[in-house]
Amino acid sequence: MDTLAVKGQVDAAAVPHGNLLLAFTQSVLLDEPQVNSLRSEVIETLGDSAFVDICATIASFNAVVKVADGTGIPLEPEKAARTQEVRARLGLDDRAE
Amino acid sequence: MSHLDVNGTKYPARATLVDAIETAWQRLARPGTWWNGEQRIAIAAQVRAAGVCAICAKRKAALSPYGGREIHAAVESLSVEAVEAIHRVSTDASRCTEKWVRQITEGDLTEEQYVEIVSIVATVTGLDSLDRALGRSNRTLPLPQAGEPTRHRPAGAVRDLAWVATLSADTIQPEDPDPFTPHGSIHIHRAMSLVPQEVINFFDLDVELYLKDREIRDFEQEFREISHAQIELIAGRASAINGCYY
Repeated sequence: MDTLAVKGQVDAAAVPHGNLLLAFTQSVLLDEPQVNSLRSEVIETLGDSAFVDICATIASFNAVVKVADGTGIPLEPEKAARTQEVRARLGLDDRAE
Repeated sequence: MSHLDVNGTKYPARATLVDAIETAWQRLARPGTWWNGEQRIAIAAQVRAAGVCAICAKRKAALSPYGGREIHAAVESLSVEAVEAIHRVSTDASRCTEKWVRQITEGDLTEEQYVEIVSIVATVTGLDSLDRALGRSNRTLPLPQAGEPTRHRPAGAVRDLAWVATLSADTIQPEDPDPFTPHGSIHIHRAMSLVPQEVINFFDLDVELYLKDREIRDFEQEFREISHAQIELIAGRASAINGCYY
């Protein structure tokens, strides 16, 4: 999968139902008008149990970012080294303090 | 298998997830470490108020979030600094700075109280985001429970990692609530460890919303109804929307 998919810049079709998952995540977090139709599509396409886990994952990552950013916790050095290429491609280091 | 009720429709859900949600709501209403139950529910209410706050919206749209002169008013049981912290972490966490955290915690709002605020903001955000994603209304906040905060500050907490003092697996003492044994001790687990009970409170919920630490890189098996790849795709998008690059 192209890492730029998480920024919504390229296709995420390499992950099963990737584009639908991205669209639903974005519609929930940005309160977009198509959220209801996307929710129905997620349930129809992936099923009830998967829908719950998708919602839970969105909730987790809308929450844990407050912990990281509110306390200024740094990335572990070994994790930073391991993700150097991905971070460069996403332009993340330009934004880190 | 248990279920989550969404406007009369019952969706199958792991019992551990349903239990973690209920426990998180109950814990919010109980006396914490530095805030009592009434104050904790007042903080939760301010998390929701921040979502429709005109000052926060103006700051969020501004090039610099620290340029405006408007500040949030105190509310009953919470100081101006506390309300300011709740609103900023709720709506613009990615532009919090070390300087701002220092300033907001140098007066009436202590560093310990600030960390507990971060935990409550994260917990309420998680619970409300889950409901929004599921398509159901936010739950009515629970009634606060009586009692006094424990006011336990870990003796080993020092400011050597984050903007606030933290513990590590090496500095935690027997008298401290231990979040590291059940949840791990990487940086994200240490972030709020100045108030170790809040690490337990938040991650008891978060490991059910997401994954336990040992499950995250166990690619031999799947622990959810969606795959690791699907989980991480959602995680990456949610983090990018939030501007968080931890």
